[in-house]
This record gives sequence, C-alpha cells and structure tokens, in this order.
Amino acid sequence: MDESRRDRFEEVAPGLIEPVRRYLARRTDPETAEDVLAETLLVCWRRATELPDQPLPWVYAVARNCLRNAERSARRQERVAARIMALPADAEPPEDPALEEALAALRAEEAELLRLWAWEQLTPAEIGAVLGITPNAASIRLTRARKKLSDRLRKRVGAAGHEESREGRRP
Amino acid sequence: MTDRHDAELRDRLRAADPATALPPADPERVARLLEDVMSTELTTENRATGTRGRGPLTWLVAAAAVLIIAGVGVFAIVGHDDDPAAPPTAADSETVTELSAPSPTAYAAKCMVPNAEALAQQTVAFDGTVTTLADGVVTLTVGHWYAGDPTDLVRVQAPAEELRALVGAVEFRQGGRYLVSATNGQVTVCGFSAPYSADLAALYEQAFS
Repeated sequence: MDESRRDRFEEVAPGLIEPVRRYLARRTDPETAEDVLAETLLVCWRRATELPDQPLPWVYAVARNCLRNAERSARRQERVAARIMALPADAEPPEDPALEEALAALRAEEAELLRLWAWEQLTPAEIGAVLGITPNAASIRLTRARKKLSDRLRKRVGAAGHEESREGRRP
Repeated sequence: MTDRHDAELRDRLRAADPATALPPADPERVARLLEDVMSTELTTENRATGTRGRGPLTWLVAAAAVLIIAGVGVFAIVGHDDDPAAPPTAADSETVTELSAPSPTAYAAKCMVPNAEALAQQTVAFDGTVTTLADGVVTLTVGHWYAGDPTDLVRVQAPAEELRALVGAVEFRQGGRYLVSATNGQVTVCGFSAPYSADLAALYEQAFS
C-alpha cells in the first residue's frame, strides 16, 4: 500500500505541478498560490491511490477547495486587507479591459466555467469534474456563459465605438 | 453560436490569461517541494485538511470528551448521581492535569475581550495539542506550560451537555493545537481558550511572563 502510493505519486506529481501553479497564479496572489500548491500536493500524496487515470480535473478540484479554505482563513485573519492593498501595485494593467470587465460582470460560476474552458483548456466533462456537476450540466452552462460573454462584449463594442483602436493606444 | 465564434472567444480569453507571464518553476524548488510533501507523516493529520469533513458524530464525541474531562471538577458542584468511576489514571509515566468544563452559566455570562490582565489570573495555562477526543474525554498533550504545575497531559472531562458546550466554545478538534487556560479546575471560555493563534499566544506570553 505504501509502496504503491509512493509509486503512483512519483509518477503523477511532477506533471501536476506546472498546471496547478498556473491554475493558482490565475486566481490568487503569489504567496497564497505557493501555500495552496503545497497543500494541494499534500492532499494528492495522502490520497495518491485514489488519483484517477486522468488526474488533472480531480487535482484542480482539490486545488479549488484548498484555495477556498485558504481564502476563508485569510479573511478570518484579516490578512485580506493587506492583500487588497498590495494587489494594485503587483497586478499588471489588464491586456484587454473590455474582456476583463465583461468577465467580471458575469456570475462567479459562469466566469469560472469560461476560465476553466479557455485557460485550463478543459472539456465540459472535465469542467464538470472540477466543479462537481455533471458533464451535461457543465456543457449547457458553458454554452450559456459563452453566449453571455459574447453578448456583453458585442454590446460594449457597440457602445464604446472604436474599441480596438482605443485599446491600441493604451499606455 | 458557431464554432468559429467560440474559437475566437477562446483565443481572446487566452490572450488575457494572467499565467502567460508566469515563468516555469525552478526544478530544484519543485524537487524540494515534492520531497517535503512525501516526507510528511501521513498518520498525523494536516491542520488544514485533517479536521475538515468530520461528521457531526465526531464533534459529538469530541464534545462528550471535553465534558467528561470537565466533569471531574464539575461533579462536586453539579452533584451528578452517576458515579464517575474514578477518573482515568495516567499511564505509569505520564502526569496528568484534570480539568472540567465551566458550568453552563459561564456561556450566558457576558464576555470580556481576552486580555493579559484577566489571563494572568488563570491558575492553569498551556499550549497543547488534542491527542484524543473520545469517550467523553478530551486529552491534550502539552507543549508548553504558561501557568500551573507542569504535567505531560491534560484531560478535560465533563457531563455530556457541558462538554458539548465547551467543545463548541473552544472548537476542540482532534490534532488541533490550542491555548487553554483554567481557574478552579474549569476551562475558561470566552476566547481565553481557543485554537492556537499567534495573537493569542502573544497574549499568553504577556500574561504569564
């Protein structure tokens, strides 16, 4: 049992680190990302024998939970205030402000579906595994979220006029 | 919604991916991280994940445990008719401090914000880890004594109701680290006894130094 867990973990873990790092970098500050990465790996190690053949969606789900817990306890410790103050200095100005804005206007779950789809490049079935919903539900909600995002982007272009050229002149 | 449209949308999202600029991890750090993880003792539960997802029964047992420990002290006061078969004696080599839960009125009383002055009045104060939460007893292994005669273990016993109230108040969990104080053999609540935190530890330090 112990040997098989070690083997399984050693086989799988190196391939998980980069995707999970990126997953976390997209969603939290570097310090929290590092903590949560270690915690996620620890869960994988403890449950190495349960790791599915395609471990990534499962591991994203673990990372998602660990991140939520970290954020909850951060709130509890009121560290969040410090982090919010630190963010604007760290954060790059958005590449595509129209997109950021449209994404931020979606419901959190819709935006997360789109991120998992575009950034983690998951299939609807995999997204379902991360979010704990059926592949079918994930597929339907993804389609709906895409449509909502497109509509918002179109509307914004209509309202703002020459969106593309304005962006080009951003400092 | 056409596929082409989806592909465009996906490309646009991808262009805004904040992780694009993320440099790959330093392989040495990755190796060290994996080593650290794999050398983690699996039998000891990790604080973040270990106590999560426990069923209500566990908490109930935990609560019962604290209450029973507390009970030793409360007995005299509450006058329970069931004889508490002499409180479990310590293993040969281990010394034990027995504590009980405060009487139910303690929870109704008005709480003051934990402060060093009030804390300094406590006759027992320690930093310990819950090793067992079973059979109506919470047992803690003490890492550091701030006040009281140092013993290896502390047991808190009390009747079920009182123990449950205490466990709820202090949030005792198996494997958790706590700062606990007591007077008259009763655990102090109102935030004076609580999960370990740097802030509370500083307060304990201040009160008992």
